[in-house]
Amino acid sequence: MAIKFEQVNYVYPSYDGPAFSALKDINLDIDEHGEFITLIGETGSGKSTLVQHMNALIKPTSGSVTIYGIKIEHDTKAKGKVKLNPLRQRVGLVFQFPEYQLFEETVLKDIIFGPKNFGVKEEVAIERARQVIKHVGLSEEYLSRSPFNLSGGEKKRVSIAGILAMEPDILVLDEPTSGLDPKGRDSLLELFMDIHKKLNKTVIVITHDMNTVYKYASRVLVMNNGKLVYDGLPTELFSKDNIANWNLDIPEILDITYQLEDKYNIKFPKVPASLQDLYELIKEVIL
Amino acid sequence: MNIIEIKDLSFSYSENLHALTDINLEIKRGEWISILGHNGSGKSTLSKLIIGLLKADKGEIYVDGLKLSEETVHDIRRKIGIVFQNPDNQFVGVTVEDDIAFGMENLCFSQPEIENKITEYAAKVNMLEFLKKEPQALSGGQKQRVAIAGILAMSTDIIIFDEATSMLDPKGRSSIMKYIKEINETGVTVITITHDMKEAVLSDRIVILKEGRIIACGDTIDVLNNKSILNSSNLELLLPLQLLHLLEENHQSNEKLKDILWRLSLNK
Repeated sequence: MAIKFEQVNYVYPSYDGPAFSALKDINLDIDEHGEFITLIGETGSGKSTLVQHMNALIKPTSGSVTIYGIKIEHDTKAKGKVKLNPLRQRVGLVFQFPEYQLFEETVLKDIIFGPKNFGVKEEVAIERARQVIKHVGLSEEYLSRSPFNLSGGEKKRVSIAGILAMEPDILVLDEPTSGLDPKGRDSLLELFMDIHKKLNKTVIVITHDMNTVYKYASRVLVMNNGKLVYDGLPTELFSKDNIANWNLDIPEILDITYQLEDKYNIKFPKVPASLQDLYELIKEVIL
Repeated sequence: MNIIEIKDLSFSYSENLHALTDINLEIKRGEWISILGHNGSGKSTLSKLIIGLLKADKGEIYVDGLKLSEETVHDIRRKIGIVFQNPDNQFVGVTVEDDIAFGMENLCFSQPEIENKITEYAAKVNMLEFLKKEPQALSGGQKQRVAIAGILAMSTDIIIFDEATSMLDPKGRSSIMKYIKEINETGVTVITITHDMKEAVLSDRIVILKEGRIIACGDTIDVLNNKSILNSSNLELLLPLQLLHLLEENHQSNEKLKDILWRLSLNK
């Protein structure tokens, strides 16, 4: 098991007024390989707080998070026996708006900054940069450019390349596609799918887009008011009953499907996975 | 009557980076217009030019009859509120209530009025219980709702939402969109910059930018269904319309199905 949450609570301290309980009794296992996980929930439900525990950026107020065998608790100190750096290298976290974190003169310098901090030799880091820039769908020619003259989508790709260059085993992305145009969004999601499949890494994506969840995820986690309220398959999550009970926003493809079933008073023989699927179902059942 | 007139506007960030070329656009008082386009198409540059954060290389902008210039820029900014995409770039207060008050203080609202409006608008964006909180205790989406409340409280004639809902969860997004519709119905001119066709559908008119030029400008219902124009600017048809196009390309549609899919597209 790569990451294990056991009865994790996290309370944000406050200097005026009551403290804010952001995570409540979280129990969760994340595997190192083979998972494409999406994490959903309303704003303020604790999604970002949860993923910041995954590489010990913050420590639980109570309970424990075990990351690659190292147990992190409230009083775990970074000094002494516990080294947090190796954990942060293994679990790569890409924040919301990573493009604002670019600061170097060239894309190359930005990408090798992380690996060098983790003690990777410069030549090795440069070689990695040449690899990862291609993984994020940009040409090597970008390495010599200034990060500040790139478009929003390109900056996002460069900042993701910087995390990939640290060769993490798990890649966690906090709302990576917000602000991208539909084509940019799709190509970035295909990129994560590629990284997941070809490099056999677990990818965790925080998103508000139910279409993304439905199309890509093998597992979905739902946060609600600091609690982990669902951990399972997307298809099950979006069943008609759950949607009604949980007040979920549903993937558009299912919305159209259910509306057509209502309007024609029919039941399709299966739930469509794609638009092409739905088209075939309509031909078969309605037309 | 036009509240905004843009004539032959061009802007470059550098010699090789032409952000906008020959933009001509008239926006009527009380209209809701959506500006769409790929990343880097010049949408945000256009909004920054309108409020005078950037200076055009060529062309003119009139806001409510005033020609934008160094002398008029402050008067013009009193008429326009703008909400940006990243709330961290615009959170200026120490607490939520300070932040909502900031814009009103700059417009010299009276103290009792400011206090009333803080409560009124914090309630509208569902942030009333957070008034004493500091920004670091808020999520990205919550900060964005605070930013929106602060701008709405200024009661300007024009509000620009520059991808303002892209950080919000679906529920937060639809409640803000509903609220934008309400303020538009009270006569406020609204400009929404977005990639989301579901948001654009609510507006009266759609402008599409590609590489700094306007490639389409027309009634929402017409632009909405123009697949080639949308795709050429990295946008996509609404899903029900994608399905309809797929059916029609294969001669598989009928009137009833067409009607249902259009209604779904227009949220009716």
